[in-house]
This record gives sequence, C-alpha cells and structure tokens, in this order.
Amino acid sequence: MRQIRAEIGAVSKADGSAIFEMGNTKVIAAVYGPREVQNRSQQMSDQTLVRCEYSMANFSTGDRMRKPKGGDRRSTEISLVIRQTVEACILTHLMPRSQIDIYVQVLQADGGTRSACINAATLAFADAGIPMRDLVTSCSVGYLHSTPLLDLNYVEHSAGGPDVTVGILPKLDKVTLLQMDSKLPIDILENVMQLSTEGCKAIANYIREILLENAKQLEYRRGV
Amino acid sequence: MSVPNATEDLSSEVEVDAFRRLFPVRYFERHLSESIRPDGRPLKEARDTSIFLGSVASANGSALVKIGSTTMLTAIKLEVMTPSLETPDEGCLAIDFHMPAICSPIVRPGRPAEAEPVVSKQLSDTISSSGMIDLKELSLVSGKAAWMAYLDIYCLDADGALFDTALLSAVAALSHVKIPAVAMNDDGKIVLMSDEDGKKQANEQVNKEKRKLTLKSIPLSLTCILHKSYILADPTAEEESIIETHVTIVLDTHGQLVSLYKPGGPVLAYTSAIQDCVALTRQRVKELKSFLDEANSAMEVE
Repeated sequence: MRQIRAEIGAVSKADGSAIFEMGNTKVIAAVYGPREVQNRSQQMSDQTLVRCEYSMANFSTGDRMRKPKGGDRRSTEISLVIRQTVEACILTHLMPRSQIDIYVQVLQADGGTRSACINAATLAFADAGIPMRDLVTSCSVGYLHSTPLLDLNYVEHSAGGPDVTVGILPKLDKVTLLQMDSKLPIDILENVMQLSTEGCKAIANYIREILLENAKQLEYRRGV
Repeated sequence: MSVPNATEDLSSEVEVDAFRRLFPVRYFERHLSESIRPDGRPLKEARDTSIFLGSVASANGSALVKIGSTTMLTAIKLEVMTPSLETPDEGCLAIDFHMPAICSPIVRPGRPAEAEPVVSKQLSDTISSSGMIDLKELSLVSGKAAWMAYLDIYCLDADGALFDTALLSAVAALSHVKIPAVAMNDDGKIVLMSDEDGKKQANEQVNKEKRKLTLKSIPLSLTCILHKSYILADPTAEEESIIETHVTIVLDTHGQLVSLYKPGGPVLAYTSAIQDCVALTRQRVKELKSFLDEANSAMEVE
C-alpha cells in the first residue's frame, strides 16, 4: 500500500472537509450540510437527500484533459458510486427534509482515485459531524503475474490485469462497494478480498488516528 | 466542559451571532467606528498570505496560494502546437479559471458561479496586457512548433478577494514553470528529451535544458471595499457580501498602473479615495513581491 496522508479542515467555508493522499493520488472533499433542500420537488420527508459531485482538475492526469461536452460519463458514474456508498453508512433518517452535498475534486490522479475519494469523503463527513454508522474505507486490489497487489497506481492499472475496488465498513465488517473489471478466476477472489479487507482496515486505523488527533486539537483550542 | 459562567456567556454569544446575521451592516459599522474589523484586523491590513510552489508534481509549474482562507491552486501544462500564420514566432497562453462546487456553499454544481467568468476574463486581460510574458519565449521552431501553455486556476476555498488570490497564484506558477527539454526527431516532430537521449545526442536539440520563463514586470493586485468614508483592504467573503462597492487596482513591480476596476456600487468615490487605494496597493505589491521572491528562492535551495 502506498503512503497515506490525510488532513482535515482544508476548506474553511465547508461544514466539513478533508484532503486525502494515497501515494501520488491527491483528492480534496468538502461536505455542505445538512442544509435546506435546493430543489423542493426532491425533498424527502423521512430522510435526507445526499448529492455527490466528482470532478477531476484539468491538470490532474498526465496529459491535460479536455472536458467532453454533454457531461463526462466516467465522472457521473463515479459520483453515483460515491453517493450510494456513503448513503449506506450515514444515518439519513436523523435529518429529514434536508440535503447533504459532498463534492470531491481530484487534484492529482495516479490510480485509485475512486478509493481516495471515498476515504476523503468519510473524513469530511466526520469533520462535519454528520452521524454515521461506521467509517467507510476503500482500497483497490489488482492481480498481476499470479500475485494480488494492493493499491494499484496508474502504471500497474494500465498493465491490463483485473482491478477490484472494495469499500467496507471496518468495525461492522460489511462490504458496501465491490466493483471489478476484467476477468478474475473465482478461487483467486477469496485471496483478493482478504487482502483488500486488510488494506481497508489499515486505512481505517489511520483515519481513526487522524480524527483523534483532530479532536485533541479542538479540545486544546477550546481550553478544556 | 461546563464553566460556571457558561450560560451567561452562551446567551450573550447567541445574541451576537444573531445580531451578526440579522443586522450585518450595523454589526459591521459598530466595528468600523473602533477602527477594527470583525476578524480583528485594522482597516488597511491584508490577511496572512502564503505561497507554496510545486504542489502538483505532474504539472510543469504549479502554485498554491492562500490569502487568509481563500485558497487557489494553479497548474501550468505545456503542450506543443503549430503556431498561427500571423505569429509564427510566438507561443500561446490560455488562462482558465474554475470555481468548483467545493469552494463555497453558494456555488451549485452544474451552474457556474457568477464570479467565475468575470474573474476569468479579468485575469486573462490583466496578464496579457501587463506584458509579463514574452510569447516569443514560448516558440520552439519558427513557423512549425511552439508551446501552448494552459494555465488552470482552481478555487478551492472562496473567502473574498478572489481576483487577488487568483492573480498571485497565476503569477507564482508562471515564475515556477520550467520548460522541458525537447528535441526534434527524424519525422520532424518534437519529442520530450529524457536524460538518456541527452547523452546520445542523436536528435537535434531544440531546447537545451529545462529553463524558466523570464518575467518582465509582475502584475499584483489589491481589492478594497468602500463604505461611507472608510476604505478597507482585502475583504473576506462576508464583508464583500455586505458592502457592494469594490475597487480592484493592479500595479506592476515597476510601480506602473496596469488596471483599475470599480464596477459601480452605492459609494461614489472621489479621486482622493481612489488615490488612497492606489497607495495601499503600492504597499501591498511590495509585500507580495517579497513573498514571491522568498518562495522562489526556497524552491531554488531544494
């Protein structure tokens, strides 16, 4: 697994925000909410509406990206994935008739952006004080030359082997996200899932440390 | 954490917060009469500024600038292109300003912020008219190849003085950008040189080594807001929303006026007020130039 670095409170205007780095992949997430629903027709009387927007900066990949007209399909897909993953772990019934917006911006992309986004989103939610069942952590695993590899970067990813992205709730040991492309023999899947669960738990430990550190800082500032 | 006076303090605290939201102008004026602002700054002081160069490793040049909480990240990417027929010796500079939804609770995804195209246009006009970059430096082979520099400025946190921060960030990134070494191969195409190619010297070297752009006169700016007879430098987003008269002045490092922008507003200022703003900007430009030089020399040490 690559080196992880996280920072809370990067965006002062947001209710909660975080920067998450996995190796060279750097992602910034901001949470606004719970706040008033902007589109009355979408308001839900028994739970909160969660919206997610994923976007990549033009300079994030090796060659400068040009935004295709009519919406970027990959961005829309990833926005949906992130939204559904976090919706599963937020206690949405505690905040009816409101809206929570999560915006994720990729500043540097070197493989594993999906996972970095979910990890950053978890931290941002925790910073915003939004009630959650558990942290959601995610990491990707690949399988090249009969070895499962944890946390692929762009080069390893383009080598063409399968890429499995897993998102789990570490304490509850439940899987919320599982995406795979390319082919993978079923007996190897066990191994790969095992490896990814360990990876996710390691990330969860790190996130917990960061949150504790942050809480201590806040305590200190409040003068307790 | 309960302190004996907590309830009293809390009740007066709630009142202050409510007063701040319900009567923002009066709250503000109460501070102004004591010559101070809600965040504790004296009227003519700008917020803490910091510049970090090279934050985006994959780009040719980058800068992260923070003025108070306002954060802007600029990255420059260079691509080879064929120059236009009218200017075969010149490269091109494309400036793009983005305000993604993370920067402010007011920005909604799918609908660009009001300030976005305004600041974008102001930035491109200022940078091209200031003569900071000589486009001939971006030329490679006359008539055949030149550099196209894409400047992407992303606002990560919008807390007032967007144009100032964006301009400083663009200028810092331009002072940091390194043009990569390239060579022309047999097909007449430009390829990036790696270290091994340099030793072989098989291809014709068009650009010997990584070099920086020479910046002639750097434009730097300060935005002031005018309220009755008060002039306040470097507003936060809250102050900008209450007071609608803004004046943005851009001076270059030689002390020449590059641009003056006062888009209406309820306060009609006498020229003396504008001159005061220019004096404030002059001071600020000196400060900013020293920050820039510090940041650049710190990079060189590395």
